[in-house]
Amino acid sequence: MATPTTFWRLAGMSYVQYVTRASSAVRNAAKEPAKSKLAANSKFSYNASVWEGGVQGKKVEIDVLSKAGI
Amino acid sequence: MALRFATQRAASRAIAKNMQVRGMATEKQIFNQIQATKNIRKITSSMKMVSAAKLKGDEGRLFKARPFNAWTTALCGEPKLCEDATYEELPQKCLLVPFSSERGLCGGVNSFISRNTRNIVSILASAGKECDIVVIGDKGRAQLGRTVGEKIIRSTTDIESPGTFDLAAGITTELVAAGAADYDAVVLIYNSYVNPAVYKQMYKVITPFSGEGEDEPMMEYEFEPDTKSEVMKDLYEMAITSQVFHSFMDAAAAEQSSRMSAMESASKNAGEMIDSLTIKYNRARQARITTELIEIISGAAALED
Repeated sequence: MATPTTFWRLAGMSYVQYVTRASSAVRNAAKEPAKSKLAANSKFSYNASVWEGGVQGKKVEIDVLSKAGI
Repeated sequence: MALRFATQRAASRAIAKNMQVRGMATEKQIFNQIQATKNIRKITSSMKMVSAAKLKGDEGRLFKARPFNAWTTALCGEPKLCEDATYEELPQKCLLVPFSSERGLCGGVNSFISRNTRNIVSILASAGKECDIVVIGDKGRAQLGRTVGEKIIRSTTDIESPGTFDLAAGITTELVAAGAADYDAVVLIYNSYVNPAVYKQMYKVITPFSGEGEDEPMMEYEFEPDTKSEVMKDLYEMAITSQVFHSFMDAAAAEQSSRMSAMESASKNAGEMIDSLTIKYNRARQARITTELIEIISGAAALED
């Protein structure tokens, strides 16, 4: 695979991870009351599981992007 | 003697009251049924009001997501209706991503998505094409797990609502981990909100922006620096994330509208059931009163004799 040239790939992030981190940084830079109003936009949670041969595997809770896709 | 008669009549009345005629509900049972149905009607009408309030929030989020996602139309084309679709344009190897809800009592939203997904799987199989499925939502997982479970490679369930762009980013990361870049297309299948009474099943086809020679995408643009393959990879992931975000918002609004009309129908049906049970109850009550009057009058007539 070719050496990545973009700084987010060099840091080990995908573009989508970089964009979501940048958005969180902008939201954290806001002043009150906008800051608390926007804080909810950074939050998410779901359970991911890998299936093998039609059988669901163990559920893993994902609430930060760094845990996703494992 | 009169006292003995009265005691015997009271005893026979008590026995008759406790005896259940097979197939016919007693007055008490009908009354209990009416009370239970009234409680259910209260629950369904409060669920309808809660859904109406949530629909307002989901509609607002959807109306913001639509212009946010508008740029993907130029690259991926417009979403298409699942109804009467032939799916001929789907390539050899597809990753299907059906969007379903977490909670039930929401009408037919999940059944329609499951049915359409199974339909696509069978059409692709008959055309000699391959597909795998990544299910979003617990209800879809349960329904599709029973029917096309061998095609499922990943599932995301227990999704906290309301959805955010970060959630869409997480789902896209799951799709990439499932090998989205290796498939010829990612197909999103979801319910699209039209109005509080109508929703339609739609699908979007997102193909990777890669190709050689004539198939090379965006030939009319120059890339500076010349890292077109990297940019295309980033663009593909961003396009999937944006489309997943819009589809999730659309599906959430459709789910709430469907739940609202399902609970409205349930409340109306409960009301009709209460009316018919009340008539039945009154008939049973009148029959009991008539029987008691006859006994009293017969007893009084016997005493006179």
